Amino acid sequence: MKKLGTALIVAVPIVLFGWAGYLVLTAPPEPPFDWRLHMSAAEHDAIVATLNHLYTRAAYTVTWAIQLGYAAWLFVKWQSQKQSGQGRSMQD
Amino acid sequence: MKKLAIGVYLFITVALLGWAYNQAIYVAPNDAAQGEMFRIIYYHVPSASVAFLFFAVSLVGSIGYLASRHNHAERAQMFDAWALAGAEVGVVFCTVVLITGPLWGRRAWGMWWTWDARLTTTLVLWLIYVSYLLLRRFAAGPQMQTLAAVLGIFGALDVPIVYMSNRWWRTQHPAPVFGGGQDSGMDPTMVGALLWNMLAWFLWGVLILALLYRVERKQQKIAAEEAEHALNF
Repeated sequence: MKKLGTALIVAVPIVLFGWAGYLVLTAPPEPPFDWRLHMSAAEHDAIVATLNHLYTRAAYTVTWAIQLGYAAWLFVKWQSQKQSGQGRSMQD
Repeated sequence: MKKLAIGVYLFITVALLGWAYNQAIYVAPNDAAQGEMFRIIYYHVPSASVAFLFFAVSLVGSIGYLASRHNHAERAQMFDAWALAGAEVGVVFCTVVLITGPLWGRRAWGMWWTWDARLTTTLVLWLIYVSYLLLRRFAAGPQMQTLAAVLGIFGALDVPIVYMSNRWWRTQHPAPVFGGGQDSGMDPTMVGALLWNMLAWFLWGVLILALLYRVERKQQKIAAEEAEHALNF
């Protein structure tokens, strides 16, 4: 159960990182500079709004990935330190 | 009692992070010029502020270590642990700044990165503290903590340069939102969202700083015990 919990707190940041990368990599291409020749203003605004939305979500997701990832790493380090401390006191 | 206090603190921090997220995404209005993308500010700016604060903790710890290393060995170790914890948590927040910034820049300026003063000094700050952490990780010997303390102090000198960079030099990075002159400032709802996020991420930072400090102090005690054991053996 404890191992499952540890696996989960390590997996969540990795998934978040992947998700942030996916959001950016699968975003639609930027409208070209001469977009007025190819599309209407409404179409252009829709693409820009989608891009803004995806990049904002990616920024929030990557923030959580970094913070949770670091907290998970610290938690695992703390747990292993506690376990090695217990092992040491049993040896003594 | 201590566990209860930690639990309450954790609960308040998580609740505040949720509240601050709600303020940033659902309550604050879209920016007139940048639209939804401007909401990156609610994570980008608080992360920078909190990083600066923890680098200041590292500075105080480093100075304290250098001042007390000859006369108060135990106090010096405590200062050293604070210096390390401050630097490491500061690097985590600075990493967030250096990733959310380019995501914002890509949409606002059409490029991921530019070598302007604010961005470059922030990258240099991050590199100094990463080298501090690498020094702590890989160097050995009695001088390691002293060298790290000196590097920590030099690293902190970059913090005011980063802060003032877009006041001193013409930069691609926007002018300061607060205290930046006549045209600076934000809508009160936006200010509220920004301050909530600053508070929430600060509390989160303090939580991981305290845990890291505890881990580092334990590590110091284990190392001291091992050294004593080796001497006796």
